[in-house]
Parts: sequence; structure tokens; C-alpha cells
Amino acid sequence: MTQQLVNLTIDCKGLSCPMPIVKTKKAIDQVSPGQVLEVLATDPGSVADIKSWATRTGHQFIGTTKDGNVFKHYIRRTDPNEVRPESRHADVISNEELQALLSQNPVILDVREPMEYTFGHIPGAKHVPLGQLEEELESLRNFADQVIHVVCRSGNRSDTACQILSEHGFPHVKNVVPGMSEWTFDLEQSQS
Amino acid sequence: MAKRVAIIASNGGLEAAYKVLNIATAAAATDAEVGIFFTFEGLSIIHKQSETMLKLRPENEHFSEGFKRANVPTVSELLEIAQDSGVKMIACQMTVDVMGLSKDDFIDGIEVGGAVAFLDFAYDADVSVTF
Repeated sequence: MTQQLVNLTIDCKGLSCPMPIVKTKKAIDQVSPGQVLEVLATDPGSVADIKSWATRTGHQFIGTTKDGNVFKHYIRRTDPNEVRPESRHADVISNEELQALLSQNPVILDVREPMEYTFGHIPGAKHVPLGQLEEELESLRNFADQVIHVVCRSGNRSDTACQILSEHGFPHVKNVVPGMSEWTFDLEQSQS
Repeated sequence: MAKRVAIIASNGGLEAAYKVLNIATAAAATDAEVGIFFTFEGLSIIHKQSETMLKLRPENEHFSEGFKRANVPTVSELLEIAQDSGVKMIACQMTVDVMGLSKDDFIDGIEVGGAVAFLDFAYDADVSVTF
């Protein structure tokens, strides 16, 4: 299975303020909600600008890496549906409760996009993006008799994932709330 | 709710043009509603001949190398971006008259309006800046 980390890359190398922001704004409209935009820039001001821009426009700033003198900024276009799910999976567990269980090697399923997972996830968490969950159900079947703790950024995608798992015969599924946006404990980063 | 940014551009020169247009285009890219009121020397920024009218101040002439090195977009490129992103541009009617200009002297897409036309926009602004 190949996972696409980035859905669109734009090149703002050599451009100065405000062009990286202007081009980022145009590019975010070209990806679908939930997809990830990569912005390449050499302007050091873009590090703070892109982050502020994302916060201000309601998109998710995933992170920035540096490769030589090139900054790579990652932004995920926000999915309006994430804000208002229609129904809720009843069985939830808090970040703190999950943290307390970590020594017992619980099953944790992270359903965020690959780039979000790469920038930091709960140590030992398995990764299946929400969009691929249904096709990956059989690979999770071994864990069906255990409690599966499902996590995303804010508890919404994981809520949907919990409902999908419950419908497909996974009886012990818990949604981790609020999720990675407020996870203050240890993180593990993937080597890319 | 989108933020609203009201800008008054009352100075000429290349420096002023960049100050005005950088803030305007960055604000528009951040989903703000942006309006600029051009008055007195600020009118040269939207004049059709802006390229020849907008110069660096003599003491700043050494900046021209820096502008090239930093790959700064031209004023006309920034104006185009501003217009594409919906920045509202109003030329001050009174100064247009005083300077013997008319709407045809300015780039397409600008309005000529009185102070109240701008104030009407600015009364509800979250941010107002003057250059």
C-alpha cells in the first residue's frame, strides 16, 4: 500500500513576502478538504507567516521541516464536516486515561492523514487514515477481541472511524477525546 | 466572520506602494475584506503610469539591488493580485479633482469616491492603517 503524504506541492522558493502566502491561499483552494498541501519556500518569514495564516483561515498547520535553505510547510485543508458530526460514538476515553494505560501496550489506531502521523503520534500507535479504513478492516481483524483506542486530531474523524468499526463487528472500540490536538505526553515521529 | 482591513494610502514613492500593497495582498490572502483609499500622492500607486511615477527616495536608491535580490514582485503584479483577490480600491474624488485627473488616468477596476464612501467601509473595519 502506498500512502500519499502530500496531495499538492507548490514552489515558492526565491519569493519574498507576501507571495508565499498569496500562493498558499490560491493552492489551498485546489486541494480537497482533508488533503495536505506542501509549500516550499526560502523566505525565513514564511515560517511564522504560514503558521499564522493557517490559524487565521481555519486550516490545520501540520508542521515545518527544513531541508538545506528550503522550508517545507505542511497544511491540511480543513474539512467542514469535521466540525459537526451527526451522531456520536458513545464509548470514549480521555487523553489522560489512555496515557495511564500505555504501559499495558493498548491497541491504538491513529486515523489521521499520513503527514499528520509522521509529525508525531502516540508511541506504538497503528496508522490507517480514515479514508482507507474500510479497505483495511481485515488487517485489523486480529485486534477485534481487544479494546481498540481510535485517535485523530480533534476526536471527529476518530468518531467516524469508531462508528465504521462498530458496524463491521469490532465490539470494543473507544474514541480518544479530544485527541492529538491536546496530547501533551510523549510523541513518536516516523522516519520518512 | 471575516476580518475587515481599511487602508489609507496618502504617500507616493515606491516605498509607500510596497507598504500598502504588501499589507493589502497579505490581508486578502488571509480571507480579510480589504479596502484602500488612495489620496494625494497615494494616487500615483494606481495611476496607469505608476511605473514611471513611483521611484525610490534618493537616499533609498541602494534598495533597488535588494528588491531584485529578494525577487520582490513589481507594483503592477501586486496590484493585479490585489484586484484578483477582491481588494476594493477607491480613489479620493477630491484629490483626483484637485490634481486635474480623471477616472481614465487610473488602472481599471478602481472606484472614484468621496470620503464617506471609504468611511462607510472603514466604520466596520477591524484594522485600519495609514501609509
